[in-house]
Amino acid sequence: MRRFRDYYRRFEEMPPEEVSRELRARRDEERRRALSRVDPLDLSGTAWHEPPHPDAVNAATFALRRALNVYPDASAAPLRAALAERHGIAPERVALGHGAGELLRAACALLLRGGGDALVGWPGWQPLPELVEAAGGRALPVAPAPVEILARASARTRVVLLTSPSDPTGAALSRRALRDVCAGVREDITVVVDEALGEFGAAGEDAAGLVAELPNLLVVRSFSKAHAMAGLRAGAAIGPAELVARLAPSGGIGAPAQAAALWAASERGGEIAARRRAAAAAAHERLAAALAGSPLSALPATVPFAWISSDAEDGPAIAARLASAQVFVAPGRLWGDERHVRAALRGPAAIDRLAAALLG
Amino acid sequence: MAVPRNDPTDTGGLFIGRRPGTGPIHYRTPPERAGKRRRRADALLAVALLVAEALVVLSAFGPQPLGWLWVGSQVDYRSGSVFLGITVAFAGHVASVIVTLIVATRLDHVWRLLRRAAGHDQREGALGRIFMVAAIVAAIAFTVWLVLIEGPAPSVAPR
Repeated sequence: MRRFRDYYRRFEEMPPEEVSRELRARRDEERRRALSRVDPLDLSGTAWHEPPHPDAVNAATFALRRALNVYPDASAAPLRAALAERHGIAPERVALGHGAGELLRAACALLLRGGGDALVGWPGWQPLPELVEAAGGRALPVAPAPVEILARASARTRVVLLTSPSDPTGAALSRRALRDVCAGVREDITVVVDEALGEFGAAGEDAAGLVAELPNLLVVRSFSKAHAMAGLRAGAAIGPAELVARLAPSGGIGAPAQAAALWAASERGGEIAARRRAAAAAAHERLAAALAGSPLSALPATVPFAWISSDAEDGPAIAARLASAQVFVAPGRLWGDERHVRAALRGPAAIDRLAAALLG
Repeated sequence: MAVPRNDPTDTGGLFIGRRPGTGPIHYRTPPERAGKRRRRADALLAVALLVAEALVVLSAFGPQPLGWLWVGSQVDYRSGSVFLGITVAFAGHVASVIVTLIVATRLDHVWRLLRRAAGHDQREGALGRIFMVAAIVAAIAFTVWLVLIEGPAPSVAPR
């Protein structure tokens, strides 16, 4: 009889008060665990840490929903015209590609087709030497200064590859220095400037503005960094018309990428990028203030990452200490530098945590 | 067949998560249901219990008042006090209605357990609906008796 009764009692529900008590206890336990858990903080990348502006997302979404069954406009005429107007050149001198990296790869493949040397401003964008080697050329690292570059240029040199502002240091090449390089090298040497971080550079010092003036200059820009559209893979090559025409992918870039990039090329898009530059500059100031008085320091810059070193320890030691605090950065040895680490600056809370981990 | 209660097509997309009151029943330990035969027997037992519950509730609307009227008349006859007769009939009826509700509530609880044991996701009892139906049936029956069978005038009065 008891077994019989117990069988049916198993189907009795718990009273609501008891359920609430159990749920509250579970919530308290989860909170306790959440407080004791330290989430990893990945500061090894350089992409902007926030989503793109809602208007850019709307533009891409509208393009996505409108006619995904048809091919996009391969010429991307409106976007090229907008970029050309901004840099004061003809639209024929602008080509679009699937991100700055893809355009740089295409440029290396084209310019180093018969082999030859590429002088790579170093430290610069880390995959550049690989792109040169893959194209059949030889990558020769060189300090990104006109004197050094002109001294190293030889009969074998085909290309000069520079990154401005530099990834990882954030140092930017001035227009004057770039004019000196372009004028100083042989006419058949193309100076390629990776200006993916161009919006973070000083106003009026961008390399793209020199394209109309310097016939051997090719500038590659990106919508991934200051416009926070890394996922859309959109970039632009600006340079001699006959050269950029050969860099563009057949079929052009996707319609959502075109639509979002067209918004980014607008005045409003420029304002948002300028706001992000100001935020990056403020982030550098915040980090510098936190590290003041310690052996640690970051190179002053306005890019969304910091090139950090210490008088007391080397780069691997800094990276290891940060990793023990669940903060992960890019080690300087990726650029052959054992003194530095590169850390993304991802907003005040992340900067404070980075500073605490650096000092702790 | 179990039908999802949080299907957006069912809710018009209003409740993206779970609709209020549609959460799972919280058991102390997840009950393991018996075999098919046992579940069928439980289902039959649940039907029998539902009938019993309905009869118990219905008794509160007819047999019990009549019974207490008879008891009251007996008290009146034996004591010679009309007041005492009415008081006993009224108090007795109130007490028996309370007892009926207690019994019906327990039967309803057991009915819910049997339904769950039979494999149904039984959340609510049937007492409320039984009570409502019984009241309607009683009201109709009383109206038929009053208007059609007996008539509004006393039976001893000349027609």
